[in-house]
Amino acid sequence: MAELTDIALVTQVAVFHNKRAFDQLVRKYQSPVRRFFLNQTLGDEQLSDDLAQETFIKAYTSITKFRGMSSFSTWLMRIAYNVFYDDVRSRKQTSDIDTPVVAHLASSGAEAGLKQDIHQALATLKDEERTCITLQLIDGYPIDQISKITGIPENTVKSHLRRGKEKLTIYLKENGYDR
Amino acid sequence: MDMTDKDNKLIEAFFKQAAQQQIEDNGFTERVMDSLPELAMEKSQRLTRLWTLFCVVVSVALFFVLGGWESLKVSALVALQGILTSLSVFVTTAPTTEVPLNPWVVLLAVAFVLVFLPYQTYRKLSATL
Repeated sequence: MAELTDIALVTQVAVFHNKRAFDQLVRKYQSPVRRFFLNQTLGDEQLSDDLAQETFIKAYTSITKFRGMSSFSTWLMRIAYNVFYDDVRSRKQTSDIDTPVVAHLASSGAEAGLKQDIHQALATLKDEERTCITLQLIDGYPIDQISKITGIPENTVKSHLRRGKEKLTIYLKENGYDR
Repeated sequence: MDMTDKDNKLIEAFFKQAAQQQIEDNGFTERVMDSLPELAMEKSQRLTRLWTLFCVVVSVALFFVLGGWESLKVSALVALQGILTSLSVFVTTAPTTEVPLNPWVVLLAVAFVLVFLPYQTYRKLSATL
């Protein structure tokens, strides 16, 4: 039913240029898209929102290319993935700093502490491992969908997931999460 | 390193709360909608509408400036006279012999046109929409 609604909204945008329909799509998917970027940027809210905005603008300008071969959310996340890695590449060209830095959260409290912990843990992973891990464990995508979003073969996705989980287990044990 | 069930559960528990996190909109959608570019198609449609409006205005102006109303009246009168002449010729020269018609055939033909065709059209339109 959700898929039917998404396709109806996409049709409204693609055929009739109905901006209200696109507004509904943005409202529906802003949370998962912004959360994806927050996890990739290790909590940089400003950068995450900029990249999420760019993702939705690209989705709007290329909405006629959506063929319905996959779900709209998968198609949107693929755009988000490409936006993120385009940004990573452009940053690498202008900076020598390769290591991601965990953003310090302005808010305080237990929830903020947990977010900080998650981003610290994610910082121990390589970019591709982090993407595969967050898409599976936080966004709930199965391996075949992760493969479609990232364009990485399924076996490579499995390798990234295995290595990522091994690193996370070591990190969590070292920091006393297993007690 | 071999991952055990305990390790997997440890990782899943660690990310459980993050998986449930919903980010509040807080004006994000408005910012996106405000920054959407005009699509090339929208631009061409806007230009097409402007061009159509321009042509309509020019046509109406030329119609009145060049005495289009008088020409239209004359043309309408000539056409009406032509139709009346044709009708009068037809009425005076039409064949008066009776054509045998089966009333059932007439009824079927009327039913086909008035009932069946609209019904079929309605069905096809419903299926399309």
